[in-house]
Amino acid sequence: MHWMNSSAGLIIAAKTIRIRPACPVRTVAKTTCYMCACRCGIKVHLQDGKLRYIEGNRDHPVNRGVLCAKGSAGIMTALSPARLTSPLKRVGPRGSGSFTAISWDEALQIATRRLQAIRATDPNRLAFYTGRDQSQSLTGHFARMFGTRNYAAHGGFCSVNMAAAGLYSVGGSFWEFGEPDWEHARLLLLFGVAEDHDSNPIKLGLGKLKERGAKIISVNPVRTGYSAIADEFVAIRPGTDGLFVLALVHCLLEAGSIDTEFLVRYSNAHHLVIHAPGDADHGLIARDAAGRELTYDRKTAALADADAPGIDPALLGDFALADGRRARPAFALLAERYSRREYAPEAVAANCGIEAPTIRRIAAEIAEIAFRQAVVLDQPWIDTAGRRHASMVGRPVAMHAMRGIAAHSNGFQTCRAIHVLQMLIGAIDTPGSWRYKSPYPKPVPGGPPPGRATAPGSALDAPPLGFPMGPEDLLVDEDGEALRLDRAFSWEAPLAIHGLMHMAIARAFEAGASKVDTLFLFMANMAWNSAMNPRETTRMLSECDAEGNYRIPFVIVADAFSSETVAYADLVLPDTTYLERYDCISLLDRPIGSAHGPADAIRIPVLAPGRDVRPFQDVLIELAGRLGLDDFADADGRPLYSSYADYIVRHQRKPGVGPLAGFRGRGGDEAGTGAPNPEQLRRYVENGSFWMHELPPEQLYFKHANRAYLTGAKAMGFIESDARIVLGLYCEPLQRFRLAAQGHGPRQPPSRLRARVARFFDPLPFWFVPLEEEMTDRSRFPLHAITQRPMAMYHSWGSQNAWLRQILPENRLYLHRELARSIGVTDEDWVWVRSRSGNLRCQVRTMTGVNRSTVWTWNAVGKRAGAWALHRDAPESRRGFILNHVISEFLPRQGAASPASNSDPVTGQAAWFDLTVAIERCGPEVPTETAPRLGANPLRLVGAPEPERRSER
Amino acid sequence: MTMLPKPQPGAKKLGLVIDLDTCVGCHACAVSCKEWNTQGEAGILPDYDRYGPKPDGVWLNRVHSYETETQGCSRTVNLPRSCLHCEDALCVTVCPTGASYKRAEDGIVLIDPEICIGCKLCSWACPYGARELDETNGIMRKCTLCVDRINDDSLPAAEREPACVAACPSRARHFGDLADPDSEVSQLVAQRGGADLMADLGYRPTNKYLPPRRASIPTPPASEPEKPALGIGSALLRLLDRTLSR
Amino acid sequence: MRPSASVLLLTTLTGGGYGLLAWIGAGAALQLLPASRPLALGGIALALALASAGLLASTFHLGRPERAWRAFSQWRSSWLSREGVASVLAYPVTIAFAIAVYQHPHGIPARVLGAAAALASAGTVFCTAMIYASLKPIRQWHNPHTAPGYLIHAVFSGAVLLALLSTAVLGVPGTAAAAAAVSAAVALAAKALYWRHIDRQSPLATLAHAIGLPRDTEVKPLDAPHFTENYILREMGFAVARRHAARLRRLAVALAFALPAALSILAGLRVMPLALTSAAAACALLGLLTERWLFFAEATHVSALYYGRPV
Ligand SMILES: Nc1nc2c(c(=O)[nH]1)N[C@H]1C(S)=C(S)[C@@H](COP(=O)(O)OP(=O)(O)OC[C@H]3O[C@@H](n4cnc5c(=O)[nH]c(N)nc54)[C@H](O)[C@@H]3O)O[C@H]1N2
Ligand SMILES: Nc1nc2c(c(=O)[nH]1)N[C@H]1C(S)=C(S)[C@@H](COP(=O)(O)OP(=O)(O)OC[C@H]3O[C@@H](n4cnc5c(=O)[nH]c(N)nc54)[C@H](O)[C@@H]3O)O[C@H]1N2
Ligand code: SF4
Ligand code: SF4
Ligand code: SF4
Ligand code: SF4
Ligand code: SF4
Ligand SMILES: [Mo]
Repeated sequence: MHWMNSSAGLIIAAKTIRIRPACPVRTVAKTTCYMCACRCGIKVHLQDGKLRYIEGNRDHPVNRGVLCAKGSAGIMTALSPARLTSPLKRVGPRGSGSFTAISWDEALQIATRRLQAIRATDPNRLAFYTGRDQSQSLTGHFARMFGTRNYAAHGGFCSVNMAAAGLYSVGGSFWEFGEPDWEHARLLLLFGVAEDHDSNPIKLGLGKLKERGAKIISVNPVRTGYSAIADEFVAIRPGTDGLFVLALVHCLLEAGSIDTEFLVRYSNAHHLVIHAPGDADHGLIARDAAGRELTYDRKTAALADADAPGIDPALLGDFALADGRRARPAFALLAERYSRREYAPEAVAANCGIEAPTIRRIAAEIAEIAFRQAVVLDQPWIDTAGRRHASMVGRPVAMHAMRGIAAHSNGFQTCRAIHVLQMLIGAIDTPGSWRYKSPYPKPVPGGPPPGRATAPGSALDAPPLGFPMGPEDLLVDEDGEALRLDRAFSWEAPLAIHGLMHMAIARAFEAGASKVDTLFLFMANMAWNSAMNPRETTRMLSECDAEGNYRIPFVIVADAFSSETVAYADLVLPDTTYLERYDCISLLDRPIGSAHGPADAIRIPVLAPGRDVRPFQDVLIELAGRLGLDDFADADGRPLYSSYADYIVRHQRKPGVGPLAGFRGRGGDEAGTGAPNPEQLRRYVENGSFWMHELPPEQLYFKHANRAYLTGAKAMGFIESDARIVLGLYCEPLQRFRLAAQGHGPRQPPSRLRARVARFFDPLPFWFVPLEEEMTDRSRFPLHAITQRPMAMYHSWGSQNAWLRQILPENRLYLHRELARSIGVTDEDWVWVRSRSGNLRCQVRTMTGVNRSTVWTWNAVGKRAGAWALHRDAPESRRGFILNHVISEFLPRQGAASPASNSDPVTGQAAWFDLTVAIERCGPEVPTETAPRLGANPLRLVGAPEPERRSER
Repeated sequence: MTMLPKPQPGAKKLGLVIDLDTCVGCHACAVSCKEWNTQGEAGILPDYDRYGPKPDGVWLNRVHSYETETQGCSRTVNLPRSCLHCEDALCVTVCPTGASYKRAEDGIVLIDPEICIGCKLCSWACPYGARELDETNGIMRKCTLCVDRINDDSLPAAEREPACVAACPSRARHFGDLADPDSEVSQLVAQRGGADLMADLGYRPTNKYLPPRRASIPTPPASEPEKPALGIGSALLRLLDRTLSR
Repeated sequence: MRPSASVLLLTTLTGGGYGLLAWIGAGAALQLLPASRPLALGGIALALALASAGLLASTFHLGRPERAWRAFSQWRSSWLSREGVASVLAYPVTIAFAIAVYQHPHGIPARVLGAAAALASAGTVFCTAMIYASLKPIRQWHNPHTAPGYLIHAVFSGAVLLALLSTAVLGVPGTAAAAAAVSAAVALAAKALYWRHIDRQSPLATLAHAIGLPRDTEVKPLDAPHFTENYILREMGFAVARRHAARLRRLAVALAFALPAALSILAGLRVMPLALTSAAAACALLGLLTERWLFFAEATHVSALYYGRPV
C-alpha cells in the first residue's frame, strides 16, 4: 500500500501529533519556475532523486514565496508522458507523426550540413523563430552571427504593440517592463488584462491595493479573474479602448486637469512642431542649428532651447520660426484635437458601449485622485537639470494594460493613447502611478536600427531586431518591398520591432525554396495555438510543389514535448524540461527586475533527465561551434564554449557586459558590468538562483529624469547615456514615415501602401475601426470573439499536466444571457461559430459579466487528437476547441497583391481580437464533438509499438 | 473517538479565513493543496485516468466561481471550498470507527487512514462536500489544515502555515486561531463581517469567509466637473495662463 | 444520493429478516403463534438468513471491508456503529429464543426470549433508520418520517414473509394473511405521508447562503472547479427526473403494497394460498427494493448546491 509510506499519510494517521521527521533524506534546491514566463523563485524538494514538492521562494523578488496553480503542478509536468525522449528524424509524410529515433550526433550532423550549405549561399534562407523562451539574447545572437535577417521571437504575435507604443512614447512599457506602484496607488485602471506575464506580482499587488482600500477599475469586455475583484467593471466593446481613453483625455482637458508642470519638465509637450503643410519637414519638431529642440519661452518671449532649465515654455499658441514658418507646441496640437466634439463622451458612448456619464465620472475620479489626493513622499532627489527637489510628489493613478489593447490592429495607437493619458496627469514613474521596472527606462526610442547587410558566410551587421527611427532604417529593397521573410520593418509593418512570427510559415510558403530553405522553430506551437489558422498552417507545412518537394523544404523543431507542431518537423531536437537544465533570465533579454531595482536569475538542473534529451541552448551553442560562427568559435573554428553554463559565465556582449549582471568581476562584487567571474553561477546558486540590486530611495521614482538613477544605470551598462529621457507625448518618428508616404524623401512606400502609412502613422494617438472589423460585413458577423488566459493553464503546455487538466480539460464559448436568449441557446447547448475564415462547432455557457456583443473562451485549451500523449478521446480534443480555427493571418484579399497580414499596420502585431463572428444553434441532432477536428496524428516511433497510456481506472 | 471533544478552556480553534473580496479564482490554493498532500507520486490523493477521457482525482480544496446579483449590483465571486473544521462536526459523530475525529487541543478535524473503513457516511454528513473518497485506497480524505506543516517545528516559524495559505498569490487566505479574539484572523472577521457558510445548519464552522466590499478610498470627485464646453476648455486656458518652469 | 446495490439490499433484506423475527418473537411472547415448531424455527432460520445476507451485502459498500470489525467501536455516537452492535447482539438472543422454542414453544423462556428477539429486531431496524434520519444535509432523510417508515416497512415485509411461511408449513396463511394485508395498508399510508412530506419541503439552503452571502443575493454558477464528474457529484449529485420518479413511485405502490395486500387477502380466502403468498412476498421484496431505490435517488444532498444542482 504505497500510500502508507508517505510521511503525510502517517501524520494524518497520528492522533497524538507525530510529525514527519523533516525529511532527513530531502534536499532543497532553489531555482526558477518555468511553468510560465513569470519566472518566480521556487524551492524544489527532492527525496532520493524523486521530485517531492515545489514551493515558492519567500526571498525571491518576483513572487515573495507565493506560487500559482501552474507552479505547484510543475511536479506533474516532470512526469508528463508527452516528454520527448530522443532526437527524431521524420519517416512518414509531414504531419503523420511517424519518426525514427536517431543519435544526437546524427541529428547535429544533419542540422550542421544543412545550415552550412545555407550560410555558404544566402544566410537569409534560414528562418529562425523562437517562442516565449527566455534565451532570446542567445538565439538572437546566434541568428546575427549566422547572418540571417529572418529571426524573431514571439513578440509579434504576443504584445509588440505594448512594447513599441511604450518604448516610442515613454522609453518603457506595460507588458512585463513596468508595474503599478502597488504601495501608493489609490486608483488603478486595468485595460484588457486577464492574467499577464506578471501573474504572481500582479495578484500580490491587487491584494495590496485591496488591503489599502484603493479602487480598481477594470476596463474589459469580460468580468472574470482580476476583473472579478475590481471595484468597477467597465464592459467595453472590444477594439474601442482608444475612443474611451481619448474621451477621458477630452474630459480632463475640459476640466483643465492637466499636470502642465510635469509635461514641460519631462515630456516634449512644449516642443514646437513645424506647421508647413507640403514641406518635407511639416509635423517634425523644430530644431536649432545645433539640432536642439526648440520651444517658445514666454519669459523672454522668444524661441529657446526646449531643454533649458528655468524657461517658461508656452503650451498653446502659434509662433514664428527663424525662417518665418509657423510652429505650434505639441501640446497645442493635442489639446486642439482631443477637445473636438468627436472625442466627447457623448460622441463615443454608443461605440464603446459605455454610458457618457460613466466616462465623465471616471475622468472626474482620475482628476480627483491625481490632483486632490496627490502622494507626497518626503524623499529629496535631484533631477537631470541639477535641481534639488525636497520631496517626491506623485499622482496615485496607476494604469496597466495588456493584450486586450495589444491584440487589436489599432493596438499601437490605443496603447499610445493610454501613455498620453498618463503623461497628461503626470502619472509616469511618480509615487502611486505606473513605474518603470529597471533596467528601464531607455531612451525614446531605444536601441539601434535592425541589421540589414548580409553576405554569404558572414554575420549580420547589427542584431536582426532593432528600432527604426524613420524610412531610412527600413529593411526594404529599391521597390520598397520587404527584405525580411515576415515583412517586418517594411512599409507593411515599419515598427515591427519583434518581427511577425505569425506570418513566418505563410510567407515561407509563398516565397518558396529559393527564399527559405530551413524553418527552425524553438519553443512555439506554431502548428496549433500560435497559428492564426491551424488548418491553413498545417496545410502549408505539408504541401508539396509540382516536383513533389515540400514548399517549405526543411523544418527543424526544438521542443520538449510531443506538441502538435512536432509532427510537422523533419528533424526534432528534444529539449530538457525546466528542472533539468541551466537557463539564464538575462537583462539583455526579458528581465525580472522591478521598480525597486534590476534583477536577473538562472535555472539550474535539479533533476536528471533520464532520457536522451539535451538542453536546447547547449545544442545551439554546439551547432554554432560546428558552423564556426564568430563569437562561438575561435579563428581556427574551434568552439569557444563547452556548454550554455560556460557561455553564461564567459560570453561578453560588450566589454564587461554579459548574460548575467550579478556577481561580476574577479571578486564577484561588481554589479551590472565587470569582468567575467568564474564563480558567478555558484554565487547565484548561493543567492537562491537570482540577483537583485536594490535601488536607494532617491532613485526609486522619476527615473527618466533622476540624475542619480540615470548615472547608476549607465554605470551598470543599462543605457549608453545618462541624459534626460524625454517622454514622447508627440511621437515624431511616426511623422517621418507619414511624410515619406506623402511623397517626401528618397525612400517612399510602394503606391499600394501610401494611403495606409499616411493614415496610421499619426504622431498623435487616434482611434480607428480595427482593420478586419472594417473589412467584414458586420451585418453578417455582428459579434466580437476573443479569448482569455485561464489562470491555471499555460497555453498548450497545461493539458499534459495530470492536475491542471482536471481543472480545464475542455472549454466553452461564453456569451451574455440576453444574447443567448436572442439566439435561443442556453448552457451546454451546441452552436456553430461562423467567421469569414471558417466555422467552428462548440458548446456555450451563459453569463452576465460580459459585453453584450462579445463572445469569449479560454485560450489554447483545445488540443489536436493524439497530441501531448493524451488519449485520442481526451476531452481536450473531443469537446475542447481553439478559436484560432475561425481566425486568419490574412486580411480579406484586395486586388492582386498577396493579401495583407491581419496585423497592426504600425507594428505588425497579430490582431487576434479583431475577430468578428456570427453564432447559430446546432440542430436538430445533438453533436458529441467540437469541429473542426484535424485528424489524429500521435507521435509514433517507427519500430516501436504505440505507447500504451497509464490509466489508473 | 468520535464523540466531539468537550470544549476546553484556552483550547485553540485553528482555521482559515478566506477573503472573497480578493480571491481571483486562480486555483493556486487547490493545486498547492493537492501537491502538499500528494508529495509527488506518493498517491495520498490519487488521480484517476490521468491522461485519458475522464480525468478525475481527489482534491481537498476546490475553487468555484459564481455570478452574484444584489440590488442591481452584480459581480463575479470565486469560492474556494475545503473543510471548515466545524465545531458541531456531524462528520465526526457519525463515524462508526473513530477514524474521523476532532482534536481537542486545536479543533482540527482529521481522518485516521489506518482506521477508516471507507463507509462514506461522514461524506454524507458533511453539508459542504469537503470529504472525498480515495477510491484507490478505499478511505476517506479531507483537508488536514496541513497539520503536518503547522506543527512541524523543523520548519522555520514563518513556514508553519497551510500550503494553500503560503501559495495564495493574492493573499486572500489567512490562517490562525479563531478562539483568540486578538488574533489577526479574529480581527479580520470582526472588521470585515466574516460569515459562516450555511450558518443555520448549525455545524458552527471554524473557517470564515469575508464578503466582497467596496473600495474605501473616496474617489467620487469633491466638486462637480466643469460643464462640457467644446473647443479648448476655459479651465484649461486658465491653467495655461499660469507661468511654468522647466 | 446515488443508490448503491449493497445499501439497497442491506436495508430491504434486514428489514424483511428482522420484521419476520419480530412477528415470530412477538407471536411467541403473546402466544399468538400456532403451536408449530417448524413454523417458529423455520421463521427464525429464514429471518437470520435474510438479516445475515443483508449485513453481508453491506460490507461490499465499504472501501476497506477487511476492517469492518472496527465499526463496532463507536456505538456511543454513531448510529452506524449502533446498527452493527445491535445486529450482533440480536444473534445470541435469537439463537437462545430458537432453542427455547424448540424445547417448549409455550414455555416462559420462549415467551421472554421471543419478546427479547422482537425488541432486538426492532432495535436493529431503528438503528439502520437513524443512520439516515440523522443526516442533516439530506432533507428527505432528516425528518420524522424516516424512522417510523423503516420500522413499519420492516413489520410489513415480515408479515408478508410470515404469511408465506405459515402457508408453506400449515397449508394456510391464517391470521398472517390479515396481518400482511393490514400492515401493507399502514405501510402504504406511511409511505404516502413521507412522499407528501418531502414534496412539500423547501430546500435546506439557497446558493447565496451556501457561499456565505446575504439571502437576497441571486447567485448563478459560472464555472465548477473541474469539468469532469468527481466523487461529490457521483455520490451526492445523483438526480432522478421528476417524471421518472413519479412513474417509479406508482410502480412501488403497486408492487410493494397494493399487490401484496390483494394477494394476501385472496390467499387468506384460501385461493391458491401457497402460490399467492409466495407471489405476495416476491412482489413485496421487488416493490420495497424500488421504494428503497427511490429513497436514495430522490434524496438530495445540500452540498450539490455548490455545483448549481437542485436540492
Ligand atoms: N495562466 C496563464 N498566464 C499567462 C499565459 C497563459 O497562457 N496562462 N500567457 C502568457 C502570455 S504569452 C501573455 S502574452 C500574457 C497575456 O496576458 P493578458 O494580457 O492578460 O492576456 P489575455 O488573457 O489575452 O487578456 C486579454 C484580456 O483582454 C480582454 N480584452 C479583449 N479585447 C479587449 C478590448 O478590446 N479591450 C479591453 N479593454 N479588453 C479586451 C480579454 O477579455 C482578456 O481579459 O499572459 C501570460 N500569462
Ligand atoms: N486565439 C488566440 N491565439 C493566441 C493567443 C490568444 O490570445 N488567442 N495568444 C497568442 C500569444 S500572446 C502567444 S505568446 C502564443 C503562444 O503560443 P505558443 O508560442 O505556441 O506557446 P505554447 O502553446 O506555450 O507552445 C510552446 C511550445 O514550447 C514547447 N515547450 C514547453 N516547454 C519547453 C521547453 O522547456 N523547451 C522547449 N524547447 N520547448 C518547450 C511546448 O511543448 C510548445 O510546443 O499564442 C498566441 N495565440
Ligand atoms: S506564475 Fe506560476 S507558473 Fe509562472 S513562474 Fe510563477 S509560479 Fe511559475
Ligand atoms: S489561491 Fe487565493 S486567490 Fe487563488 S483561488 Fe485560492 S484563495 Fe483564491
Ligand atoms: S466541513 Fe464537513 S468535513 Fe469539515 S468539519 Fe465540517 S462537516 Fe466535517
Ligand atoms: S468513511 Fe471512514 S472516516 Fe468516514 S465515516 Fe466511514 S470510517 Fe469514518
Ligand atoms: S489547509 Fe492544507 S489541506 Fe487544507 S486546504 Fe489548505 S492546503 Fe489543503
Ligand atoms: Mo504572449
